[in-house]
Amino acid sequence: MSEQQITSSSPIQPAKRIDPLAVIVRFQSLIGLVLVFAGGIIFSPRRHGVILFIQPDNIANIVRAVSETGIIAIGMTFVIITAGIDLSVGAALGLASVVTATLMVSGGFGLITTVLAVLLMGTCFGLVQGAISSKFRLEAFIVTLAGLQAARGLALVVSGNQYINISYGDGPGLAPPIFAVLGGRLFGNVVPVATIVFLIFACIATLVLNTTRFGRYVYAVGGNERAARISGVPVSAIKIAVYAITGFASALAGIVHAGQFNFGSANDGTGYELTAIAAVVIGGTSLFGGSGSMVGTIAGTIMLGALANILQLNNITPAMQLLSTAAIIVLAAVLQSLVRRREGLGR
Amino acid sequence: MTQNALRFSSARRMALMAGSCLCIAGVAQAADPLVKACAKDGEFVIGFSQANNAEPYRQHVNDELEAAAKAVPQFTLQIADGAGNVNTQTSQVDNFITQKVDLLLISPFEAAPLTPAVKRVMDAGIPVIELDRKTNGEAGKDYTAFIGGDNYKIALAAGEYTSKTLLPDGGEAAVLQGLPSSTPAVERLNGFKDGVKANSKIQIVAEQAADWLPDKAQTAFAAMLQAHPDIKMVYASNDMMAAGALLAAKGAGKSVKIIGTDGLPGPAGGIEAVAKGDWSATFTYPTGGKEAIDMAKSILLDCASSVEPTVTVDTTAITPENAKQMMGK
Repeated sequence: MSEQQITSSSPIQPAKRIDPLAVIVRFQSLIGLVLVFAGGIIFSPRRHGVILFIQPDNIANIVRAVSETGIIAIGMTFVIITAGIDLSVGAALGLASVVTATLMVSGGFGLITTVLAVLLMGTCFGLVQGAISSKFRLEAFIVTLAGLQAARGLALVVSGNQYINISYGDGPGLAPPIFAVLGGRLFGNVVPVATIVFLIFACIATLVLNTTRFGRYVYAVGGNERAARISGVPVSAIKIAVYAITGFASALAGIVHAGQFNFGSANDGTGYELTAIAAVVIGGTSLFGGSGSMVGTIAGTIMLGALANILQLNNITPAMQLLSTAAIIVLAAVLQSLVRRREGLGR
Repeated sequence: MTQNALRFSSARRMALMAGSCLCIAGVAQAADPLVKACAKDGEFVIGFSQANNAEPYRQHVNDELEAAAKAVPQFTLQIADGAGNVNTQTSQVDNFITQKVDLLLISPFEAAPLTPAVKRVMDAGIPVIELDRKTNGEAGKDYTAFIGGDNYKIALAAGEYTSKTLLPDGGEAAVLQGLPSSTPAVERLNGFKDGVKANSKIQIVAEQAADWLPDKAQTAFAAMLQAHPDIKMVYASNDMMAAGALLAAKGAGKSVKIIGTDGLPGPAGGIEAVAKGDWSATFTYPTGGKEAIDMAKSILLDCASSVEPTVTVDTTAITPENAKQMMGK
């Protein structure tokens, strides 16, 4: 089957008429990001006339803190565009951090071997979940919920119930010093390396989603699975692939985590799946599948980080931070729903 | 009460220490103060990076710290909740650097991951007092000071109290342990076991981990009572698990002596449970909140050039004799 066939018969073509609300929704995450930054500047505490919020160090804090959930959210965007969900990502991060630490410290593996092994493990973990879900026609929600438990259990087994500290140096029991780079900063000691990993991964993912046949298939599966199948899209393979991608992303985030904090812990990454889903939804990707963008996810991720930062700089309680995040998620969802109704898509 | 005597002596020691710091500061003019902008009438912001607010003990720490800081008009205390997540806590510590707080208090969720963040704070010229939990490195160099209780000693005191007062004639005892592999859980278990060694007629017939949680403790202790109907007392490594053990004992229709740990205030805490006669005792795990604010005063207001790098705060035994009186505190 040809590509032309797919694109022409694909049900996810944008509505032809221009709806101002749709424009807002299309760019909601960028608009939101600008608004949050403007608010950040206005409400930033000042010291001797210096606006603390936009200090390079502070911006670096924000983008560093969101790097791990950002990497996961990038993977999650693929899954959600296919109308799926992956709840196992946070636990998979914990598993990856533990395996990274174990391989390097007690396994005596080198940096490259460890990284490749952990990425392969994460990809396979996602692949298995996708395959189970697809083959037995099970809800991804259930399969990945089981995956969450499995990853935590495996992480506890691998780590022997211990936190695994990573120390650096040459010789057995020590990690290669270069691994500590992940916790550092580049370009005048300003840009966190973790953020660079996040941005590179985001760029590759954007290219894959926007310019490849695979990317078009992902949209097609989420837009209308039946139509996609009739058009010859290998639906099962695409579904399995997106879970492999989230598995890969979780493993990458786990490696970054271990490198940033010099340790592996089975309990780490708890709740990251929800932060990642929130970032994707705020970024304008619909949980019903078929639409969404990578740029939106990146903006959504940074928006959540900036919001937490400005509230914290002003010493506003964690309760308010949760409530304001909740308000933004609801706002994003309501906007999407309004647009869908106008376009006659219902729901 | 010997434990009370212990506590008073520790208070006196603190006072002496603070006094000697003042003297040193007064005599040795040449030594640089830890904070250059220190002043009696200054205004100072103290940041507290809490590991996790969602535990009763951690809330108790916040309360004591807030109360102590409120008594010093020059101080403003800001608390950030690390939410039990090293990534969150690291960014909050970095935010405190951005805000240029005058002093950082921190209970690091885990040692190694927070070590670099604490180093950045020290590098920024901000003194760091670690509360209850430490990062890696040396007190007085990699961080300014550590203030906290000693889990082993507190559990040892509970064990000795069991040997001498609760079960002088011996009998079967049980232990509910905290989250396995966490340091406090291990230290409290070992301390209690060493404490009951004083009485060879006491046998520990059951010990299980209940992860600090009341529901898990209830289930575990109910099973222990099934397997060992003659259990006379149970040592719970925190107050929440002691509350769970009480429910299990009531459910089984048995009267078991219960010891908790932490000595939390409030209706759900151990002090009231002892006062009501539900438990036999609880041993406070001091928050060090007051001591931390005292140290902040000597650094920021009195321009101390050095402080005691490690301050261990002693436990208080809450027993039927003093529980009612302790409730008011």
